[in-house]
Order: sequence, then C-alpha cells, then structure tokens
Amino acid sequence: MSTSALKSAATPATEAAFDGPILELHKLEKRYTGTHALKPADLAFETGEIHAIVGENGAGKSTLIKLLTGVTPRTSGEIIWKGKATGLSTPHEAIELGINAVHQEVLMCPHLSVAANIFLGDEATSYGLLKHRDMVRAAQKILDDLGFVLPANAELSSLTIGQQQLIATARAATRGTQFLIFDEPTAYLTRKEAAQLFALIRRLKAQGVTIVYISHRLEEVFELADRVSVLRDGQLVGTRRTAETNEAELIGLMIARTLDQIYHKEHMAFGETLLETRALSGQGFHDISISVRAGEIVGLYGLIGAGRSEFVTSVYGRHPHKSGEILWEGKPVTIRRERDAMNLGIALSPESRRDQGLCLNLPVGLNINLPIYQRLTRYFTLDNGGEARAANQQISDLRIKTSGRGAQALSLSGGNQQKIVIAKWLNHGAKLFIFDEPTVGVDVGTKAEIYRLLAKLLANGAGIILISSYLPEVYELADTLHVFRNGGIVGSHPFKGGSHEAILTEAIGV
Amino acid sequence: MTTESTTDSVQSRGKGLNVLLGLTLIGLMVALWIALSFATDAFMSERNISNLARQGSMIAILAIGETFVILTAGIDLSVGAVAGFTSVIVAILINADATVVGGVLTTLGMSTTGGLADTLLGIYDAFAVIATLGVGVCVGLFHAFGIVRMGLPPFIMTLATMQILRGAGFLTTQSTSIQILGGDNSAFNSFAAADFLGIPSLFWVVIIVGIPSYVLLHQTRWGRYIFAVGSNPEAARLSGVNTKGIIYLIYALCSMCAALVGIMLATRLHIGDASQAQGWELQAIASTVIGGTSLFGAVGSAYGPILGAFILATIANGANLLHMNAFWQYIITGILIILIVYFDGLKRAKR
Repeated sequence: MSTSALKSAATPATEAAFDGPILELHKLEKRYTGTHALKPADLAFETGEIHAIVGENGAGKSTLIKLLTGVTPRTSGEIIWKGKATGLSTPHEAIELGINAVHQEVLMCPHLSVAANIFLGDEATSYGLLKHRDMVRAAQKILDDLGFVLPANAELSSLTIGQQQLIATARAATRGTQFLIFDEPTAYLTRKEAAQLFALIRRLKAQGVTIVYISHRLEEVFELADRVSVLRDGQLVGTRRTAETNEAELIGLMIARTLDQIYHKEHMAFGETLLETRALSGQGFHDISISVRAGEIVGLYGLIGAGRSEFVTSVYGRHPHKSGEILWEGKPVTIRRERDAMNLGIALSPESRRDQGLCLNLPVGLNINLPIYQRLTRYFTLDNGGEARAANQQISDLRIKTSGRGAQALSLSGGNQQKIVIAKWLNHGAKLFIFDEPTVGVDVGTKAEIYRLLAKLLANGAGIILISSYLPEVYELADTLHVFRNGGIVGSHPFKGGSHEAILTEAIGV
Repeated sequence: MTTESTTDSVQSRGKGLNVLLGLTLIGLMVALWIALSFATDAFMSERNISNLARQGSMIAILAIGETFVILTAGIDLSVGAVAGFTSVIVAILINADATVVGGVLTTLGMSTTGGLADTLLGIYDAFAVIATLGVGVCVGLFHAFGIVRMGLPPFIMTLATMQILRGAGFLTTQSTSIQILGGDNSAFNSFAAADFLGIPSLFWVVIIVGIPSYVLLHQTRWGRYIFAVGSNPEAARLSGVNTKGIIYLIYALCSMCAALVGIMLATRLHIGDASQAQGWELQAIASTVIGGTSLFGAVGSAYGPILGAFILATIANGANLLHMNAFWQYIITGILIILIVYFDGLKRAKR
C-alpha cells in the first residue's frame, strides 16, 4: 500500500495474458419493482477494444454500468471475467478485478489537491505519515505523461469541470484498471479537453485496457470506438462494428423509427423586436449587443465558460450588469431581480438541471408549478384542483414519463427531468424563452421533441435564445447565430451562414 | 383520463408515506400511554394527563417554529435563549402595568380603581404580550439579516444570538428572577393553570399555533416556497421565488414561536427568568427530527414535530411516575432519535 501506489502509477494494466473476451455477459438481467431495467442481455467485450454503448435515456445504460461496477446486484444471469464467473456484488470487488468507471459528474473531494485526489484511498505513507511531496511529484509525472497541462498541487475546485474530469480519468488509469467505463465524459468538456481525453483513451487502449464508452454524441462513437452496442427500452438490440455501420442505422436502432430529421426547423415571419441589449457588460461578459424578434431563434454558440450563461442570467436579473442597456419591446427597462424579468415575459431554462433547474427531492408537480403558485392561490390558500390540473396538463402535453405528479423529480431520467424544466415555463407562459443547453444529456428522441416544441413556441409568437455548446444544434436551428469567446461576441451569422469550421475557429480563437 | 387516475394513485402513495410515519408516531405514543397506564395508577389520572399536556405544549410550539427553519435546511439554536429572554421582557412589561395605567389615569384626573381601570389594565397586558411577540419577531429578522446579508451560516448566527440573549437576560435581571406581580389570580398569572372546555389552556395554544402552521405549510404557496428553498434555493430563485423573503419569514416565525413559549413560561411560573428553557433548543430539534423532519431540508410536516414533542413529554412524565432516575429520559430520547431516523431512512432508501 505504501510505495506501491507510486510505482504502479502511470503503468496501468501490465498483466492481461488472457486472450478470450475480457468480460462476458450471459443473460444478464435486472428488475426493479415495477420496471424491467435490463432484459436478458448477452454481450462479450473483447480485450483491448473500445466498445461504445448508445441508447436513449432510460434505455438501460446506467443500469448496465451499475451492474458492471457492482453498485447494484443483478436479478439473474452471469458475468464472466476472463473466463471465470464472478459475483461482482460490491464496488470494491469490481475495483479489485480492475473494473473502474469515470462518471459524468465528478465524484471527488473539491477541497483537496489534485495529487491528494489522485491518490485518495491509496496514499503513499512512511510510518503512517503522508509523503506529500512524493505524491505531488508522482501525480505531476502522471499528468505530464498524459499530456495534461495541470498543476498537481492545485486545489481540485480551482479547476474547471472538464479538467476535473480529466483528473478523474487519470486517477482511474493509475489504479491498475483493465476495464474502464466512461459515462458521457464529454458532456461538460471543451473541445480541447475532449481531444486530450480522446488521446488518453487511445493511449489506454494501446496499453491493452478495455474501454466502454457511453455517449449521446454519435460522431464521437465513430471517431473513437471499434464496436458499438445499442440499447433500447432495456433491451440490447444490436452490436455493430463502427466501420460497418452509419449514424442513420444506429439512430434507427435506438429509437425504432426512422428519424428523417432530428432538427425540426420551421421558418417564421419575424415580428417586432422583443429584447435588445446595447453594449451590455457584467461579470464574465462585455459589450454584448443582440436583439431577438418574435418568431426568431437567436443562437449563442461558444465553448463552456465563454460568457453566454453569464450574459443571459444577467438579462434575467440573477446577476447585475455593470453597464449597457436592456430594451424590452423598444423601451429601456431595469431588471433587478428574477421576478422583474418574469413579469416582463422572459423565461429562463438554466444550464444545469441539477443545480439550477430542479428541486430534485420534491414532487414533479411542485417543480412544474413553482413559477405559477401565485396564480394558483385563491384568497390565502392554494387551489388544490388547479394545482393538479396545471401539473397533469404539462405531464401529458410534453409526455413526461413519470409515475405521477407526486413522484420525486430525481426518480425521472435526464431527458424527462429536462422536460420538467421546460414544462414549468410553458405553464407560466412567456414572450421570450431562454434555453441554456436544453439538450445536454438528453436522448435523440427527446431532443427531437424539444426541437418541435421550440417551433411551436415560435409559431405562437414567442422569441427564443438558444445556448448550446453543440454546434450542429445551434447551426441547424438558429436564425441568427452569435459566437462567443472570452465574454465577447466574435462573430454573427445568419441561418446556416458560414461553415462549421469557420464558426468553430471563431469560438476557439486559433 | 388514464393519466389522471395513475397520477392520483401515486399522489396518495406519496402522501401515504407521510401518513404512515404520522401513524407510527401516534401508535408509539398510544403504546406508551397504554403501557404507562398499566404500570402506574397515577398516569391516567386527570391531573397527570393535563400536566402532561402542559409539559409537552411548550416544546411542541418551539418544535413547530424550529420545523419551519429546518425545512429550509437551516437550524435555530437560539429558541431556548429567546424563550428565557422573552420571559424576562414580558415580566417587566406586565409588572409595569399598574404604574403605566395608573399614571395615565392620574394625569387625566380619573380614578385609578374601578371598571375603566381594569379594562385598561387588560388592554395593557394584551399589549405587553403582543410587544413580547414583536421582540421575538425582531430577533428572527436579525437572524435572517445575518444569514442573508452577512452570509453567516444559520448554525453560527443563532449560536451567537443564543449567547447574546442569555447574557442580556442575566444583565437585565442581575441574574435573579423577576416575580410577576398581581398575585396568583391575575389574568396573566392564572392563564397557565386554567382549562377551557376541559382542555388545558397551554394545549389550546398548541392548537392555535398548530392549525395556522399546518395551513401555511401545506395549503399555501409560501409553504411550497419553503420546501423549494430547502430543496434547491437556486432553482427556487430562478423560478421567481423571493428566497430571501422566505428566509426572513421562517426565522421570524421561529423566534415568534419561541417568544410565545417565553410568555407561556412566565404565566406558568409567575416569574421572568433568563436562565429558563436551558437546553430546550435541543429538545425542540429532537422533537422535530422524531416528527420526520430531515435536517437536510425539504422533508417534513407541521404535525410531526407536535407528535414528537408529546412523545418526549410522555417519556419524561412516565420516567418520573416510575420513579426512574430523571437522567434515563435523556438516554431514552437519544436512542429514540437514532431508531426513528434510521427506520425512516431505510424506508426512503427502499423507494
């Protein structure tokens, strides 16, 4: 335990003489009360391959990860590790075998240093005392080897989410891992960070590590994976070599219907100008002048941290702006707090469902009705019937998959949680809807539904600001596209104006 | 139509869990009562039951106030100190009644005895009680100010005022107690011992506080906002909830409940004493937790803490009647907290 941690660092997976599939599933099955989360699945992971798993939210991907990492026990079936059946009933057992996972949301200690996090639970000690400097040096070597330009003695919380994810990956890579699962790793990464992560994944593969890669982004699957398996409604519906398939076939397998067009775009006649900002500046953004008309989607594209969210939350009254002007329907307005924005007719669906969008441990119905409780009040008390009607209306309109409005929001899948965030503003009504990353972690089917919804809002005379870090999305949908970099607008394009490459270059600023 | 029916069944299931906890607690209390009525002769006597109702009432009201705060994932450690301090305040105000009313009447050249004087004294005493509640509200607003404006954690803010109010109370009284004048038969001094419709007056106070609290928490939008702030203040804020206003509201309500308990103490003991209600903040928090409130916020009810308080009061009362060493009740209370929170957690994890 003492110095072994330092030695084994940066040399993962040295053994592995076994030449059959590293991990096989035989009729693996998982039932929860009421749901059949994973129907009997047979699958073999070849040693040293990158195996992508795709599927809509709720298709059973997370259940599969939980089974493979020993987080939940299986209902029936066998897991065979290097030819031998294994129990795999605790996370500890999985780690002992060499199975590890990097989660979408980083689970580490934000107040400890990078080095301390990398060696957490496996610290180098001498006579019971920590060998701080040795660990920092070893951690720095690991980071340098991996090509990450990050200081090993920095506090973890001082890093961006993307960088923290890279640290989590490095940490898993140093622990003799032979089978590494990535769960949507690039959701919060910038392009550069994603490129570093891909390099690391390829490097691990070269060292003989088997990679399971879960993602909604099919182009990543084709860029990275050798094979890809598709899950649908808890069923493994097919495994393909990436060289022998294409996006259309995978999407067809995932949603069991041909989706001729995910990006549903209808061009509307533009109405009057709803919102105009003049040289608006504040914390994290400066000199932003944009306008949004009724019937128009204004896209804000840029890397994470480019100042887009800061700009819109400031317009919404969450953070003050330092200078500049906001005009609403042609008249200058002061928006001091969120209520002011709501009363004008602005709605904000924030970037993070978890941190800003939802009261996760409260009922779906409460979340949907939160902005309109004032309207649901008769004299002093609440109109219970109205409360139920308003919630049920949105649940059925948006086809939110939930056992009912009394269910806790956290019991829903990511896509359905996103629908709640949108539902609460449809419920409230607005003239200008701001959607900040509305499709992160949302499956293809729900994405298409959300895009149709945007078109419907436009048809009803609303305007939309759409923020996305996923270029195809804003490219295909925005009538006007503004590119953000370092808090400022560096380029503006009409519908489908400019090539992907040109816009990307503006965003990155090479 | 189908959505309607499934929705309703789940809704009732969700409520069912709360009701289940409530029933478990009532069951526990009834079991304790039955066991104690067999074990002792004195327990079921009218005198003891009304005594029990009086004992439990004050902690119950503190616990209701504490629940508002804990639902937002906050904590108020000062409620005992506020009760002690306000017992002093109300004693001083009540004792000044004859002087003030007499002074006014003399200036107006009227008689200081007789019907008018008595009416004025009654009005003045009512004013004294309301002013004391106002002192409580001010303490609560100060808590919220420290938490919202100065960014102090609730634990620290209320720990500080707990010290400040104890100190201020002792300085005011020179660390003695203030006898409340007017004799045992004055309206103020006789209130705690009185019954109304056969129910002790102090228990009526629980009802008078409990019903509006229930309505506020479960039937109004502010109740929904309290839960939302406890679950995710940022999401609540972005949904247009005035989160700071909610923080001011709940701390003001909590300290007002504590001031009410200070007044109840004063009418019961006929003194104002800053050393009273020592450690009651912990009993209030224990009652709240036993009543199913989560210290992480957003889980709880208005009736849970009342049940919790009377379960604790029953244990204390029973231990006393069984001639057990009084310190056993602390041990029993501790074990009860561990068991109830553990089983509640198990049930939630299963869902």
